[in-house]
Amino acid sequence: MSKIKLLAREFRRSWSGYLFIAPGYLAFIAFMLVPILFAISLSFYKSSFDISARQFVGFTQYIQLSRDPIFMKALVNTIGYALVIVPTTVLISLIIALLIDPLGLKIQAFFRGAFYIPGVAGGVILSVVYLWIFNPTYGLLNYLLGLAGIKPILWLATAPHSFQAVCAVVLTFTIGQPIILFQAGLASISQDILDAATVDGATSLQKAWFIRLPLLRPVLLFVLATQTIQVFQLWEVIYMVTGGGPYNTSTSLVYLIFQTAFLNGNYGRASAIGVVLTAIILVFTFIQLRFWRETDI
Amino acid sequence: MSTTVIKQDALRLAIEKTTRLISYLLLIVLAVTFLLPLYWMITGSFKLQTVTMAVPPEFFPSQPTLENWSQLFNGPWPIWRWVFNSVAVSLLTVVLVLIVSSLTGYGFGKKKFPGSNILFVILLSTMFLPNQVMLIPLFLLVRALHLTSTTLGTYFAMAMPMISSPFGIFLVKQFCSSIPDELLDAARIDGASEWGVFTRIMLPLLKPALAALSIFTFNQAWNYFMWQMVIAQNKFLYTVPVGVSIISRTPASGKMITDVGLTMAGGTFGALFMIGFFIAFQQYFIKGITFGSVKG
Repeated sequence: MSKIKLLAREFRRSWSGYLFIAPGYLAFIAFMLVPILFAISLSFYKSSFDISARQFVGFTQYIQLSRDPIFMKALVNTIGYALVIVPTTVLISLIIALLIDPLGLKIQAFFRGAFYIPGVAGGVILSVVYLWIFNPTYGLLNYLLGLAGIKPILWLATAPHSFQAVCAVVLTFTIGQPIILFQAGLASISQDILDAATVDGATSLQKAWFIRLPLLRPVLLFVLATQTIQVFQLWEVIYMVTGGGPYNTSTSLVYLIFQTAFLNGNYGRASAIGVVLTAIILVFTFIQLRFWRETDI
Repeated sequence: MSTTVIKQDALRLAIEKTTRLISYLLLIVLAVTFLLPLYWMITGSFKLQTVTMAVPPEFFPSQPTLENWSQLFNGPWPIWRWVFNSVAVSLLTVVLVLIVSSLTGYGFGKKKFPGSNILFVILLSTMFLPNQVMLIPLFLLVRALHLTSTTLGTYFAMAMPMISSPFGIFLVKQFCSSIPDELLDAARIDGASEWGVFTRIMLPLLKPALAALSIFTFNQAWNYFMWQMVIAQNKFLYTVPVGVSIISRTPASGKMITDVGLTMAGGTFGALFMIGFFIAFQQYFIKGITFGSVKG
């Protein structure tokens, strides 16, 4: 049989596959792949609002970024946010999932819902009320701290506190999803193993530490990966609550992208920041995937 | 011998009981802490401006007022229009994501064709990329096409970055691979066309996955704040989150500061839709989250 005939037969067998993926794949190429590639190319240009007048500048954007103290602050803060928020989220949601697990199904559903609700309300809505809670004179937080004898703190206007404030807001809505994941993971642990431990005289705390936690490892890694990627993209709370201030001490890479691109129209530079962020996330995801493969998820 | 066993059992029972009591208490304390901001916002919407700034704060509004709500409904903000915009954009996104994900996911999951692996890997590799990177070129595209000059164009522009959801395609592909090939072959032998196999056999089986994907996408589209804010050209094109953020940044008439009560009413109004939506479709939310991550 000639090669062409073979190809024709191959095509007859597989053409419907191409047809099925075509609409989605074309949308993917148009709205994701090409934009991403275009953003990468844009990072080698100097360009303002009029994009057609862009000038090729090579690595200049990247060199300038490496000398820009604001970019460096955003970079350090973004990693800082991940280092603070991700472990705290995982710890709190893990504790809550372990506490919920032994309860009845209806009570489980109730608590799961209660902790997930701030997340569905969204970061913008929560930021709106936190602005009031953080108010130095009539905010709820300083009042509650005052009851404990702590002097009023200028949450959004002084250096380490604005960073902490952003972390607090983000924590309110990041724990919902991991709780659901951890709980599903706990529910899939075979009851036989737990019963066997009970027969051997293990208390529920011992069972949690020696049986449930080790078996949750794959879910834990999944949560770590997704949470870190999410926190790396943190910006809306910063936009709403601190505006990156004071003196860029609470800014993040994505907030800087937003400012650089959509407020200042400096698309080339913003794309370069985006490429740096992408590289960080890729490196991180790669490390995570290695972990996954080793733990055989 | 037997008495020590009984004693041990009693001790263990006591430990179990205390653990359970402590865990209940801890859970309640944690739930109260995490829900406090929402409680503060909702009760705040019923407080007068003077009360919102009172020290010590009122934990329950002693003189509840509807002043903020009437200001919100009768003020300069077209809030129902925002709700309409948010619903329209989210529904449009869901419909497009469903079409794209079911067709493409099925193609990758059940069809064998040269190059399918590499095409799928390219698609999947973008799942972990930060969205914001592609928003700049997409924004330039929207601007070049003048999409925002019409309302429909604006809705489409707002849905655009989410249409080809690698997550949705991945989810449908995973779900497809759990369906036996024999089922599809049987339909083919009975004379069903390729399209018929997809619409009559596959789609009904995919329903649970698509339901979870719809709910998940709706929530995601509703809260896609940065893009919506960049795209919305005037207050009639704002979505709910964009509108709420603008209210919270607009000083009250004739004052230097924002009106806290009004802002809380706006926030509560905005939150109610998604919270109601969540309560109605809770099980789908949970399915959407746990699909593909926890082997149940």
